[in-house]
Formats: sequence, structure tokens, C-alpha cells
Amino acid sequence: MTNRIVDHPVLGKLEERQKVQFEFDGKTYEGYENDTIASALLAHGIRTLRKHEESGNPRGIYCNIGHCFECRVTVNGETNVRACLTPIKANMIVESGQVQPHPLNPSQEGDIPKTYAEYLEQEGRG
Amino acid sequence: MSAKNYEVAVIGGGIVGCSVAFYLAESGLDVILIEKNDIASGTSSRCDGNVSIVDKDPGFDSHMSWVSQELIEDLSKRLDRPFEYRKSGSILVCDNDDEMQAAVDWVKTQNEAGLKFNVLDRNDIKSESPFFADDIPGGLECETDSLINPYMFCYALVDKAESEYGLQVKTRAEVTNITKEGREFKIQTTNEDVRAQKIVNAAGVWAPFIGKMLDVDIPITPRKGHILVGSRQQPVMMRNVMEFGYLMNKFGRERIADKRTTEHGVALVLEPTESQNFLLGSSRQFVGYDPTIDIRVVETMARRALRFFPKMNDFKIIRAYTGFRPFTEDHLPIISEVKEVPGFYIAAGHEGDGISLATGTAKLMEEIINEKTETIIPKEPLSFDRFKKSEVYA
Amino acid sequence: MQIYDVVIIGAGPAGLAAAIQCRENNLDVVVLDEFPRAGGRLLGQLHQEPNGQWWNGIEESKALLERAESLETDIQLGVSVHHIEKLDDQFVIHTKKKYFHTRNVLIATGAAESPAPIPGWTLPGVMSIGAAQVMTNVHRVKVGEKGIIVGVNVLSAAIARELQLAGIELHSMALPTRNVVVDEQSDPRLVMDRLSRIAHLAPSKFIQLGSKFAKYKFVQSLALKYYPTNGIKMWGMPIYLNKAIKQINGTDKVESVTMVDVTINGDIVENSEKEIPVDFVCIAGGLYPLAELAAVVGCPFIYSEELGGHIPIHNETMETPVKGIYVAGNITGIESSKVAREQGKVAGLAIAHKELNSIDIEEKLQAAVRNVVATRDAASIQFHPGISEGRKKVSTAFQETMKTQKELELVR
Ligand SMILES: Cc1cc2nc3c(=O)[nH]c(=O)nc-3n(C[C@H](O)[C@H](O)[C@H](O)COP(=O)(O)OP(=O)(O)OC[C@H]3O[C@@H](n4cnc5c(N)ncnc54)[C@H](O)[C@@H]3O)c2cc1C
Ligand SMILES: Cc1cc2nc3c(=O)[nH]c(=O)nc-3n(C[C@H](O)[C@H](O)[C@H](O)COP(=O)(O)OP(=O)(O)OC[C@H]3O[C@@H](n4cnc5c(N)ncnc54)[C@H](O)[C@@H]3O)c2cc1C
Ligand code: FES
Repeated sequence: MTNRIVDHPVLGKLEERQKVQFEFDGKTYEGYENDTIASALLAHGIRTLRKHEESGNPRGIYCNIGHCFECRVTVNGETNVRACLTPIKANMIVESGQVQPHPLNPSQEGDIPKTYAEYLEQEGRG
Repeated sequence: MSAKNYEVAVIGGGIVGCSVAFYLAESGLDVILIEKNDIASGTSSRCDGNVSIVDKDPGFDSHMSWVSQELIEDLSKRLDRPFEYRKSGSILVCDNDDEMQAAVDWVKTQNEAGLKFNVLDRNDIKSESPFFADDIPGGLECETDSLINPYMFCYALVDKAESEYGLQVKTRAEVTNITKEGREFKIQTTNEDVRAQKIVNAAGVWAPFIGKMLDVDIPITPRKGHILVGSRQQPVMMRNVMEFGYLMNKFGRERIADKRTTEHGVALVLEPTESQNFLLGSSRQFVGYDPTIDIRVVETMARRALRFFPKMNDFKIIRAYTGFRPFTEDHLPIISEVKEVPGFYIAAGHEGDGISLATGTAKLMEEIINEKTETIIPKEPLSFDRFKKSEVYA
Repeated sequence: MQIYDVVIIGAGPAGLAAAIQCRENNLDVVVLDEFPRAGGRLLGQLHQEPNGQWWNGIEESKALLERAESLETDIQLGVSVHHIEKLDDQFVIHTKKKYFHTRNVLIATGAAESPAPIPGWTLPGVMSIGAAQVMTNVHRVKVGEKGIIVGVNVLSAAIARELQLAGIELHSMALPTRNVVVDEQSDPRLVMDRLSRIAHLAPSKFIQLGSKFAKYKFVQSLALKYYPTNGIKMWGMPIYLNKAIKQINGTDKVESVTMVDVTINGDIVENSEKEIPVDFVCIAGGLYPLAELAAVVGCPFIYSEELGGHIPIHNETMETPVKGIYVAGNITGIESSKVAREQGKVAGLAIAHKELNSIDIEEKLQAAVRNVVATRDAASIQFHPGISEGRKKVSTAFQETMKTQKELELVR
């Protein structure tokens, strides 16, 4: 964990804290008690927390204090959780946001599906 | 003041005013559209986008909707800006077996009127959405229903009419007073005055205030509605769904539901938008012009949605908004001249149907103003006089 | 069902200071904050005062928290308030987990940063300047190896220094190129004007330097005209008012920025593009009061540029025209945390006075009100030169609102 600011000329030495293990997109990471999901991941050099639902562009934190919702992730199955406000807990399962299907997009080929069954069929999942 | 004298001034840049201005300008008249804020800043951007027959009373009501649907389909081909038009049909779902029986009868009546309705059974409901509750007995479908994005539609109309039919548009101009000088109206606004020979009052729920300026009492009252916006997520379903109880609420008929659902006039409407958010509605209340979001109503709506979509518990709602439906006593809009003030017309009072009925309304208004003998729909049921009659006989 | 005397929303300096006053007077209080730690934005602050002493936000927060805890204050963290409902004689605070019923509410939600969009700003590695402050000083995690700051104002100058202290390399500070959203932050004259009018209190050498030549508009123009090509240096880092960032580049994360020269009017000089490799970018768009909850419960607002935006109308004892709703801290205007803390004290005492109505509290309240003014006058960080005028506007608005309210009641 090279990205920690261990010694600080004014704030002093980083105090000893409990280590906490959590999972992000299937991999296990270690952080410290009081870390948020965002800070623990950034300490490991991970900036991308999700892909934009539509464009798939990568997104990370912006405000880091809960105002912008750019950092939304899924935590233990709950969607739209702000990574910058959520402290890591042991065995927490965090997943990044992914591109969402866009069945009603008029620019795609074929007819727009009318029912869910039709949509699944078009997806080849019928 | 501009020295110019317009043939028609349309007051109100909602879906009704924009449609009226469009057809009038297209017919060759010299038209100005006057709006106090921006285009589609009133009810027409605080609503759903259903162009539907499914929730109309069989008869005149559903006929007018059908005519409007044809017009909107035509416009989807003619207007240059897309407005998220989707002709997917729409469905109603039933809460219990009694409603199911009523739904079967409803389909029969609508079929007899020549409209494309079908009964849906349990399995059909399952193929509409995997999120539906297992105990929904069934529902019905109207094949011709469509969805639009109402404010994009308004802009598409205005754009085309401005660039091709010479429509003038004046926004940020609140009409503050109207006086008649000879055969001409002087319309005072907060952004220059306007002169016109005729006025169409398309101010929706604010139409009574415009009426008052000319001593005309217009019996329209605001009926408030809430809508919740779901966050972008996995698809819920592909087309609009309402619950059968929606019809009961709308027409003020008796309905079996808990006290709060009844008090807040809540019935499920779920509209999947093109961009994959969903709009979850709605409520119906007479509480004046207060736009505040009432969290209790929001809760009642969420609870009602869970009745039909129990898995929605995990979904995220990102915001809520409210709008005012322009309500009239007999559930029909006023599309009419005002005999007492020659040259003054009203196109308002569409309650929860303004999106569905805007095009039919506008076409009829154009025909009335151009004094055509044949009209696209009969104009008597929509005349302003009908309220006076009921007063006399009441 | 418990009915609290007061629910305090926000555990920043304003909220905590208010809680302490309320608890000292034995009121039933709960403090709610969505951030996992108490202290609000005070936590991340670290600057040197003109007398050379460090203002250490972590320590200041700790002091407030310890005092509050010694008074057994109920502080609940990780709780987002999303609605305040007004009933006849009480309020219901809606949070995700539960409802809190209370007679009074103090809204002390602080400030938020204005977004300042520039092309490429959604790339991971781009963040607001405040985000970098919190990551560095609160979480003690480096935001990157080498970065650049877009937007020159008091806050970004202060935080730039904090990043340097933590051993993070900064290429420079520069303006954003002009677009409809960042119009004000991209105009070198406006930026210079603002900086120079608060320069005498600035913690930074750069800004103090600015004050020497920038008392008069024409001198400012001259200063801009002869602005050194290599920028004016602050602690070794150049600050450019003659260069701007046009876009941020990278595929999956920030890789570089495109910098251009700008004229004194903020126009881009042709063919002046330069690519600068960085792995993070901080955008400083300025602060505005975070006041949605006040709007939701029906507080009337007034716009004040001096105070940073739309302000819930209130009087000098922090009451709003909605009886039982109080505001304190940056929600009432962007100022330093010391002012926020003193305002919190006032609000706490005002609520205690309302509930207990004692002369003793009244005297303390008056003293606390005077203290806010004194603290403001002595503040070493000031976000806008016209704060006092802004404050006057708000109190006039309060008087007018109350007058109209009375008249309306009389009519009824
Ligand atoms: C929650 C909700 C859901 C709905 N869903 C549907 C649906 O799915 N399908 C459907 O068919 N209908 C629906 N409706 C109904 C529909 O939205 C309305 O019937 C329709 O928008 C009314 O349009 P309008 O043009 O008459 O009024 P508005 O859109 O309100 O337009 C009136 C305009 O007049 C302007 N105005 C007012 N006073 C002045 C003045 N003095 N000077 C100048 N301009 C002025 C206003 O600013 C406004 O823009 C819904 C309504 C609500 C509230
Ligand atoms: C990013 C940032 C950096 C700043 N840096 C400095 C600086 O370096 N120096 C300086 O002098 N000033 C700085 N300020 C100004 C700062 O606002 C004040 O110094 C001071 O902290 C204001 O105190 P406060 O109590 O009003 O609000 P804050 O300290 O902001 O505290 C408000 C608290 O309310 C909580 N909150 C907000 N909304 C909700 C909600 N809906 N539900 C629950 N909790 C909520 C927040 O989590 C926060 O903890 C900064 C402001 C920001 C936004
Ligand atoms: S980064 Fe803005 S909410 Fe988390």
C-alpha cells in the first residue's frame, strides 16, 4: 500500500489501525478501519468505481463527500451506494456499476420490443 | 409594443398551446404563441407521456383519443425533431377477480366500438415483466396506445412551425391583462404587449386567470399529481402499465382500496422511458396550486407499486415531481369559442388526458377558428356553453 | 414515541457547537450526519494562520466532539436526511433508517462545491479540490503522483498547499478555459479582482503579493498584462492567470491535460497548446450553501452573490421565518469554519432560549451574536469580499418576511 500518507509534517504519523478485508469485483483487498470504500480502493491505485450505465465510460469519485453520486457502487447487493461515504466492513462485497441494457433505444436495429418476453428473445435469452 | 397585429395569439406554451399554434400556423394564419416561462414549463413537463385510449370511457372520449393518436402518428413522421414516439400499446392490470371481471366487460365494450383491445391472462402478465407479483389475475391491452416525451414533442412542434409556417414565439412573457379595443385584443405581457384579432386561451390549469381578464368564468380546477423517477437500472418492462383502479380514481368511481390509497387518489402507473428510467405514478388530489411534494403521498404511491411489483423494494428512486391536471366537472376539455366575447377561444381543461388529446384538440380548434363546417370530431360535447346549461338546469 | 427538543442535521463545526450549547442546557438532542466521521468539512482543513500557527481541522473537530461526548450528546453518523416534514406543532425528520420527531430543527448542512465542467472531467482521476483535501488530510491517501489544479481561488490555493505538505507534486494552478458554466472562474480579471480584495487576510504568499499591485482596477489590468510567463510562484508552484486548461485527456483515467495561453480577457491564444502529463486533476469551482432541506420544509430564500448563492432567510439568532427551523454555518453563507462554529453556538442558545426562556440564556445568546461578528472581522480566510453586505441583505429580508407574515395573519 504505497499510496498512504504515512508521515505528515503537521498531522504527524499515521496511527496504527485495525486492518479490514473486503471484496471489490471479485478480488479481495485490504484497507483500514475508518477507510471508506473509495479511500481504501484509491490506496490500491483503483480509481474506476463504475462504468456509466449508458456509454460505458469509466467513472470515479468527484466530490468525495456524498454530494455528486458519481461514486455509486453496489454493496452487499444494494445498488447506488456512495463509495465515498461508506466505511469498509469485514467481508463486505462491493461491485462496480456496469453498462445497463437499453432495449428502447431507437437507434438500434430491429423493432423495439413490446414485452419483456420479446426483449429477452431479441437478446437471445428467450 | 410591436405595431404588428396578429390574426391569432395563443396563450400558454404547454402541449395544448403548442399543438394549437402548430395547426393554426400550418393553416396559413399569422400566429403568435405567448408563454410566461419557457415552452413546456407547466403541466406538460410534469406528467407522464401516455397517448392512450386504454383509460378512456368508451364513446366520445375514446373516439377523440383515437383521432388524436392518428394525428400524433402522422406528426411522428413529419416533425424534424424526434420526440421519443413509441407505438407499443399499453396494458392495464387488475388487483382482484372483481376488477378482472370488469376488465373483460371493458374489452368487450371497446371492441364493439371498433377499438383494438385484448384480454390478458396470468401468463401474458408474466411475459410483460418478470417483476410482476404472482397473484395478479390478469389485465387488458390496448394495441394502438403510444408513448411520447411531451416536452420534446412541444419543442418539435414549435421548431417546425417557427421555421416553416412563420409562427412567432414569445417566451418569458406573462400575460397580465387583456382588453378589447374594437375588434382587436390588446394583450399586456411582462415582455412587450401584443395585438391580435383572436385569442386562444391554452393556459391549462391557469386558464381561469386568463378568463378573468375578460370577465369569463372558466370552471377548471387544479388536480395535483405526484410522480417518482426511478434510477437507470435493469429494464423493468417495455411499455406503459396502469392498474385498473386508475380508471376508478380518474372518474371518481367507487373502488376497493385502503384508506390512504383512496385519500391520496393513488393508482399505479409505470412508464418505462426511452432512456431506461421509469416514471412511477400517480396521485390525484384537490389541494390548490401548492406544488410541494408530499412525502406521505410519495410513500402511498411506493406502497401501491409494491402491490404489483414486490421486487421493486430494491429499486432506487432518484427524485419526485408534481404537476396540476386541469380538471373539469365532466372530465372533458373545453375546446370552444366564448360567445360572450367574440374572438376569444378556450382550449383547456384536459385533466389527465392532455398528452393524449392535444393533437385532436388542436385540429378541432384550427377548424373552429377557420370556420370549417366539417370537423374532425363533434364540437358540441366540448363547448363552453355546456357548463352554463347545467347551471340553469341544476 | 420520543419527541426531541431538537434534531441537528450536520455534525460540522456549526452543528457540533450548537449541540454542545443545547446539551449544556439539558435539551433532548440528536445530531445526524451522513459522513462516517463527525467534524464536517472542518476535518480536512489545515492552514497556517498569519501568526504562524497551524489551524488543524482534525484537532479542532476532536475538541468539539470530545466536549459534545462529555455531555452525552447522541450523535448518529452514516445517516442521510432526505426530507423534513412539517406537522402542526412538530417536524418529522426522514432518514433511510427511521423517523425522528422533534419540536425544533437546526439545519447545519454546510456547503457544496459548484461543479465546473471542462472536457474530460468525468475521467477517473479528476476530482473536486475538496475531494482531494478530504482524501489527503482525513483519509491520508494520496490522490496521485503529480497533478494540476484548475481554478484559482482562496480555497484552491489553501488546499494546494495542503497537497504539497503531504508530498504530492503539483505542476501548477491555472484557470479553466471559458465555457458557459465556468464563465466567472475563467476570466483573469474577475479572478484577480476577487483574490486581491481578500489578499490582506490570505494565508498564502501569492495572494498577499497580489494585494500589493491590485488595489485598483487599472493596476490589476497592468498586473495581468505584465503577468510573468512562468507564473507567480507559491511555495515553488506556479500560479497562472495567463494560462488555462482546455481539456483533460486519457482513455480510462487521467493521463494529461491540454494547457493554452489566454489573454487578459480570457481568450485563447492560437497555437499555444501544450500537453502536460499528470495523473490527477483537481477542479475548483467555488462553494455554495447546501440548502435543499431548508427549501423542502418551506423556508423562503434570497440570492446573495456575496454569500455564495441562495440563502435561507434568517435573523441574527439563526431563526428562519418557519417557526422551529434554525440554520447555522455555511448554509447561511460561505465563510470560514470559525464563523460557522460561532453561528452554531448562537443557534444552540437560541433554541435553548426558545425552549427554556431564561434571562441567563438570553444574555449568553446576545454575547454569542456579537462574537459571530467579531470572529468574522478577524477571520484569516474569507471567501468573498462582500460578506458583511450580504449579511445585511439577509437580515433585511428576514424583517420584511416577518412583516408580511404578520400582515397576512391580520388579514386572516
Ligand atoms: C402527474 C401527471 C401525469 C399525467 N400523465 C398524463 C399522461 O400520461 N397522458 C396524458 O394524456 N395526460 C397526462 N397528464 C395530463 C397532462 O399532463 C395535461 O393534461 C397537459 O399537460 C395539459 O397541457 P396544457 O397545455 O393544457 O397545460 P400546460 O402544460 O400547463 O400549459 C399551460 C401553459 O400556460 C402558461 N401560462 C399560464 N399562465 C400564463 C400567463 N398568464 N401568460 C402566459 N402563459 C401562461 C404556463 O406557463 C404553461 O406553460 C398528466 C398530468 C399529471 C399532473
Ligand atoms: C469541500 C470543502 C472544503 C472546504 N475547505 C475549507 C478550508 O480549507 N478552509 C475553510 O476555512 N473552509 C473550508 N470549507 C468551508 C467549510 O464549509 C467551512 O469551513 C465549515 O466547515 C462549515 O461548517 P458547517 O458546520 O456549516 O458545515 P460542514 O462542516 O460542511 O458540515 C456539514 C455536515 O452536514 C452533513 N450533511 C449535509 N447534508 C446532510 C444530509 N442531508 N443528511 C445528513 N448529513 C448531512 C455533512 O456530511 C457535513 O458533515 C470547505 C468546504 C467544503 C465543502
Ligand atoms: S464522490 Fe461525490 S458522492 Fe461520492
